[in-house]
Amino acid sequence: MDLFLQQTVNAFALGGTYALLALGLAMVFSTMGLINFAHGELMTIAGYILMACGLAGVPFAFSILLAIAAAVLAAVVMERIAFRPVRNASGATMLVTSFAVSMILQVLFQNFISARSQAVLVPEILSESVRFGGLVIGVNKIAAIATTIVMLIFLDRFMKHHRIGIAMRAAAEDFSVARLMGIRANTVIAGAFALSGFLAGVAAVLWVSQRASVDPLMGFTPVLKAFIAAILGGLGSLRGAVAGGFLLGFIEIYLAAYLPAGMQEFRDPIALCLVVLVLIFRPNGLIPSPALKAEKV
Amino acid sequence: MNKLLISTLLASAMALPAAAETLRVGVATAQTGALAPFDTPVIDGIHIAVDEINAAGGIDGKIKIELLEKDVRSDAAQTSIATQELVDEGVSVIVLPCDADPSLAAIGVVTDAQIPAISTCASSPTLPQIGGDYMFANFPGDNVQATVSAKWAYDEGHRSAYIIYSPDTQYTTMPLYFAEVFEKLGGKMLGEDTHTIGQQDFSAIATRIAALDPQPDVIMTSTYEPDFPSMLKALRAAGVESQMIGSDGIDSPTTFSLGAVAEGLVFTTAGHPTEGSELEAFNKKFEEVNGEAPQTVFNAVGYDLVKVLEAAVIAADGSTDANTLRDAIANLENVQGATSTITYKGTNGMPLRSVSLIRVKDGERELIGQPTPDASLIPEPRVQ
Repeated sequence: MDLFLQQTVNAFALGGTYALLALGLAMVFSTMGLINFAHGELMTIAGYILMACGLAGVPFAFSILLAIAAAVLAAVVMERIAFRPVRNASGATMLVTSFAVSMILQVLFQNFISARSQAVLVPEILSESVRFGGLVIGVNKIAAIATTIVMLIFLDRFMKHHRIGIAMRAAAEDFSVARLMGIRANTVIAGAFALSGFLAGVAAVLWVSQRASVDPLMGFTPVLKAFIAAILGGLGSLRGAVAGGFLLGFIEIYLAAYLPAGMQEFRDPIALCLVVLVLIFRPNGLIPSPALKAEKV
Repeated sequence: MNKLLISTLLASAMALPAAAETLRVGVATAQTGALAPFDTPVIDGIHIAVDEINAAGGIDGKIKIELLEKDVRSDAAQTSIATQELVDEGVSVIVLPCDADPSLAAIGVVTDAQIPAISTCASSPTLPQIGGDYMFANFPGDNVQATVSAKWAYDEGHRSAYIIYSPDTQYTTMPLYFAEVFEKLGGKMLGEDTHTIGQQDFSAIATRIAALDPQPDVIMTSTYEPDFPSMLKALRAAGVESQMIGSDGIDSPTTFSLGAVAEGLVFTTAGHPTEGSELEAFNKKFEEVNGEAPQTVFNAVGYDLVKVLEAAVIAADGSTDANTLRDAIANLENVQGATSTITYKGTNGMPLRSVSLIRVKDGERELIGQPTPDASLIPEPRVQ
């Protein structure tokens, strides 16, 4: 029983991180119909800021803020330079653009920073663990779960009560009508990118503190997981992204924990088969977006 | 522009009569992609050695080395294409990427063209075995490294072990060799786990190992960064205190900056800069050229590779003919490189080189020893 509870805590921590990542993708997709595959590179940028801060001796708490700020800034700049010019192009064009942005950034990191992994100094406390009865829970797991909860509450309030949040929800439902109501397209889209950068920055801090290093290709795995989670939850739906992230985390952890040893090699394919199985019964995802076919700008 | 063109033409015209005095080396390695962290430092080392030799007038004072470099983007198909292009340009030797898998993709091309090929730092003994006469490696083999670490673990009094490996590449299956040697010595394997390369979360595996009773004395893996730090931190956070053993892929500054979790970690690698050693001299030279100390032993491994080529050309009486060079490489003995002496004679292309056993102590590297393993313990290469 203890073992099961322990694995469940693991699943919550991993699922929470996936949820934050998937939310970042869903945020942008819901407003402009773009799946931003360069989302992972926002995480890499935040990771490099953490690395640089560690080298410069900046306190970790402060470097977290700097890293998140850098991810937000990078997301806004990315929208302005790369995605605004193709905003009215087809979904495929935007998709290819995001791949291009991602690859250009990776090569820039490889050539101007280093092809090799760079160490990030993470406070020792994050490597420690706490005992609750029979459970041993890593401090970084607790941090991941707590951060996810805080972020979800913050986003919920923001989307419900803040002017830009409401505008983003309106735009996600029907962009043309939202514009007729006087909502500025640029503000909404830039806002969506800034928020997705914020989510990427937070996720990056959790991700990097687990691995204590950053490398040019770091963004690939998280964005892939986020993409799967977003599809599983229902593309464009924010609640769906959260549900998809958690479900994916649970599937991965429980498979790793309970598949017999001989089957472990097939863990990833089995996980994806389970995802497909869910999609067979709920083709639009767990919590589909009501505006799945709404026209974009 | 015109001036540049004319001077280039002039220079190449002047170079023409001396064409026979040049060793043309085709370099088809990963400058971008997943293998770049390993290939780029090797190439830096290659450049240092080539510049050093050319500045002294060339190999044996007369044969300059010319490098023709292509990026294969860590992709197997691209490695094969780039190798073909280099063959068409008439190179005498080809340098292939660090991992056995892309290097294997070029076997057909180099064998057909009968040009010897050396992988920068692939350590899988299956590479020359599958690759045949024209394929050489440039690193202590996985089976040899695993023998060294298993023997050390057993001699330290460890009697039970657990391995975590990834079936994704030849290299990451090194723990299977470890298990084989450890059992042959009389140790007991408590189990194994697999993971995928690029896996971020090891908490499920860590929890399972933490629940084992009794705990394994040692856990061996050949996972490398960025996965390795995640794995190590997850294991320690779950309360696993077994001795961890790794391999050359974690010979990197990241490992030494992990703090308390990495304390006592032991791994095998290609060399260690002991006082007065060739590696120490190379590291000094590297710092002079690049302004910073090497981050990894892979720089020195690149230097080794050029030293092997130099020795082969000398052994072939200055010939740069591909087939003559192949035979010369295959018969080299005790070539002094930066990390070790290197012998190909009597092997199938997997060189005999020393293995260094390193322990992380107070965040610094500490040499445990550079043992020569007992040949009867070394497992046969296994193809995954």
